[in-house]
Amino acid sequence: MTSAVLFLLLFLCMAIGMPVAMALGLSSVVTILFFSQDSLASVALKLFEALSEHYTLLAIPFFILSSAFLSTGGVARRIIRFAMDAVGHIRGGLAMASVLACMLFAAVSGSSPATVAAIGSIVIAGMVRAGYPQSFATGVICNAGTLGILIPPSIVMLVYAAATEVSAARMFMAGVIPGLLMGGILMFAIYVVARIRDLPARPWPGLRELAASFFSASGGLMLIVIVLGSIYGGIASPTEAAAVSAVYAFLVAVLGYRDIGPLKGVPWRREGEPLARAAARNLLQMAWALVRSAGDAQVRGVVMEAAKVSIMLLFVIANAMLFAHVLTTERIPHAIAQQIVEMGLPAWGFLILVNLVLLAAGNFMEPSAIILIMAPILFPIATRLGIDPIHLGIIMVVNMEIGMITPPVGLNLFVAAGITGRSLPWVVRAAVPWLGLLLLFLILITYLPQISLFLPGLIDRLQGY
Amino acid sequence: MSVRVLNRIEEAVIALLLVATTLLVFVDVVLRFGFGTGWLWSQELTLHLSAWFVLFGASYGVKVGAHIGVDALVRVLPRRARRAASAVAVAAALVYCGLFLAGSWIYLGKMFRIGIEMEDLPVPLWVAHGILLVGFALLALRLLQLLWRVLRGEAEGFRFADEAEESLHLARGEAEEARR
Amino acid sequence: APTVIKFSHVVAENTPKGRAANAFADIVNTFMGDEVRVEVYPNSQLYNDNKVLEAMLLGDVQMAAPSLSKFERYTKKLQVFDLPFLFRDIDAVDRFIASPAGQGLLASMERKGIVGLGYLHNGMKQLSASRPLRVPADANGLKFRIMSSDVIAAQFEAVRATPLKKPFSEVFTLLQTKAIDGQENTWSNIYSKKFYEVQPYITESNHGYLGYMVVTSKEFWNGLPEATRAKLKKALDIAIEYGNQVARVKAGTDRAAIARSGRSEIIQLTDEQRAQWVEAMKPVWKKFEREIGEDLIEAALRANEG
Ligand code: NA
Ligand code: NA
Repeated sequence: MTSAVLFLLLFLCMAIGMPVAMALGLSSVVTILFFSQDSLASVALKLFEALSEHYTLLAIPFFILSSAFLSTGGVARRIIRFAMDAVGHIRGGLAMASVLACMLFAAVSGSSPATVAAIGSIVIAGMVRAGYPQSFATGVICNAGTLGILIPPSIVMLVYAAATEVSAARMFMAGVIPGLLMGGILMFAIYVVARIRDLPARPWPGLRELAASFFSASGGLMLIVIVLGSIYGGIASPTEAAAVSAVYAFLVAVLGYRDIGPLKGVPWRREGEPLARAAARNLLQMAWALVRSAGDAQVRGVVMEAAKVSIMLLFVIANAMLFAHVLTTERIPHAIAQQIVEMGLPAWGFLILVNLVLLAAGNFMEPSAIILIMAPILFPIATRLGIDPIHLGIIMVVNMEIGMITPPVGLNLFVAAGITGRSLPWVVRAAVPWLGLLLLFLILITYLPQISLFLPGLIDRLQGY
Repeated sequence: MSVRVLNRIEEAVIALLLVATTLLVFVDVVLRFGFGTGWLWSQELTLHLSAWFVLFGASYGVKVGAHIGVDALVRVLPRRARRAASAVAVAAALVYCGLFLAGSWIYLGKMFRIGIEMEDLPVPLWVAHGILLVGFALLALRLLQLLWRVLRGEAEGFRFADEAEESLHLARGEAEEARR
Repeated sequence: APTVIKFSHVVAENTPKGRAANAFADIVNTFMGDEVRVEVYPNSQLYNDNKVLEAMLLGDVQMAAPSLSKFERYTKKLQVFDLPFLFRDIDAVDRFIASPAGQGLLASMERKGIVGLGYLHNGMKQLSASRPLRVPADANGLKFRIMSSDVIAAQFEAVRATPLKKPFSEVFTLLQTKAIDGQENTWSNIYSKKFYEVQPYITESNHGYLGYMVVTSKEFWNGLPEATRAKLKKALDIAIEYGNQVARVKAGTDRAAIARSGRSEIIQLTDEQRAQWVEAMKPVWKKFEREIGEDLIEAALRANEG
């Protein structure tokens, strides 16, 4: 009864066009008012707790800030150039390079839509010019973009870690092999399609250009080393690594690449300028630029964009935590868990159920909210059935990836529609053929836990003794 | 003070909170890794700064139409029905605010009477959590403004510029750069 | 309808605290079920240790058992339990708790609206680190993860180590990657959180006590009929007795399991080494003497002479 009211209210509020965060919050509070002994004050307390007691979630605004600097600061462009040089000469190479670029960008950014936007807005047009069908290009990018939350760092993994108290660092580690595997599968499928449909290849650019483009991209790619290196090298926790990444992304965009900010258009070395002189000039200019960044319109714009996205995401997450809290006080997860356990499902059967429920939810809701609402329900059952919490987390993440390319709520679809200027149904049709691959991948991930658990286990074995 | 100035101040506060939180965590890493030391209070401070950031910024989100939502259903309605639905949605959001304002008032009042402080900082708890009242009051103001405009037919309801559009917006300039 | 008591705690159900809470619920629900019903919420399902007391004061949780260090904002007196090397062993803690001074502390937060009902043990704390800690100088310059507590921070500063506050969920990874060098905890926590797998050395220091106070709100407690209160107190005493027994046994078996695993070396201190640690950390007592009260420290010391 209570749960029926709770969910009904939520859907009603969302249907009439309330923001998801407020819909979650309002349905929670109303349910508490009518069905529970809890006070209004405890709801305010719980909301503040959701915002101020989760150190893991603090990483989210940092990763968003870092992504914002990477998207505007010329990093995506340099990553794409490098990816093109690396695999562009293979048949279908341009599409494969796009996947590689998505993977590389995923490794520095925590969000899928950000990955689609940063890479897609450049490469889709590029592929079309090179003779690829536009729907093919769009479909590839929609799918490869989902890697943003599977390849670490990942905002969705951070939310899962906060909801279940598993270590975010271990979740990140668990996503590496599945992410590489998914990228590999996509590239292989592209190669096959390219052979059949005789898609174009680019000439081999030569090692010199490859090295040059790698060097040019390395400023951005260093972030992979900084984020993962500092987490696994014992320098920082995921939250701290995210803050470091944000600071670095700012430095590389404003002082390094100089595509935005006060140094825009200022060359590292003027023609004929002696090296020592250039070094001294740059040093002074960079120090002064740090101060001037505070007043720079472009830098402020990037910070405000990141702030906007972070505020909204964290506000949704806080209200979703409140919603999950109401579920808990009303013992709804207990009841559902009880029922499922009584059904006597084996672990594999339970996992099918998990996938179906998550896929359905992914059609309508925002990933963080789904994870926060579903994790408290699924987690205890999974533990009882002997499913590893990390494995369950990766399954949930892959489901969320699929949710990003299924209508009506699919962030990647929205972004792709925006980039191509096409209608949503057109984008859906373009992405559907590739959906099969993701579903196949989901089955692999679900029934071969070793894909997810191998790397965290290996790290344990290496460092344990 | 003109509205323009107020807007600038609002944005400056939001940006400052985000940047301060980021730098504080960054400095924490530098202190620990570089100098083997650290501040015991920094974790609590950063967490509270981020809570302030979100609660203060929620109303700004309404202003710039940045909240995440689904308006697919409302969009297929005829115009008058859509306006009615939007008005109900905004009114419901106001109820949400009202309930939270009431709850926050009771909660903060209790903390004020008991008189406890934050864990690691010598700041009264009711002050540190006072942003609950401030944030929801600002949010209620913005919603009232929006309701007024919906009723007069000047606004259609919450504009949803979801994460998708934000990412897009950021990347767009980049794409133009690449095309040149 | 029976009065509902929501008992909220932050650990798993199979821990000593979790089992004591469940035992309390079983006793109450069996013998006074038509009068009072106890619902236990483990694993921080409702609130974490920071917020649970606030929720209790608002009347949304009726019972909780946060660790003693968590009461620092409500009374400074309970800091006596955090003082290093004050209690010789867990028996001394028991004697202190049973003494008038220990029982008096249950009422130390009444002015803030909190009533203590009893003490639950976790156990005596040990030091673990990436380097062997035999004398205080070995801790010099190392980074230790601590709970939020002024006393424990001062304790590590006394041996020139750096205390750092880190969220519990990341401690394992931070220890594994050596971002922090060590931590202090009881045998049962070191075992259940697998810290022994990533910390090659554990010093059996027994330097401090980790325990919890079972608390309720004054408003709720005084609103119950006298007879109900007496029965609840009785039920809780039995549950606590049981939980403390479990804790004692567990400390022994977990220590043995860690020793058997061979993944970390357990270092025994000689009397002379131990004396050095006491010497180094004792100034902490002086530092907090005024806030805690000299008489309480005296009473605790007397409990050592059982
Ligand atoms: Na990523
Ligand atoms: Na979807």
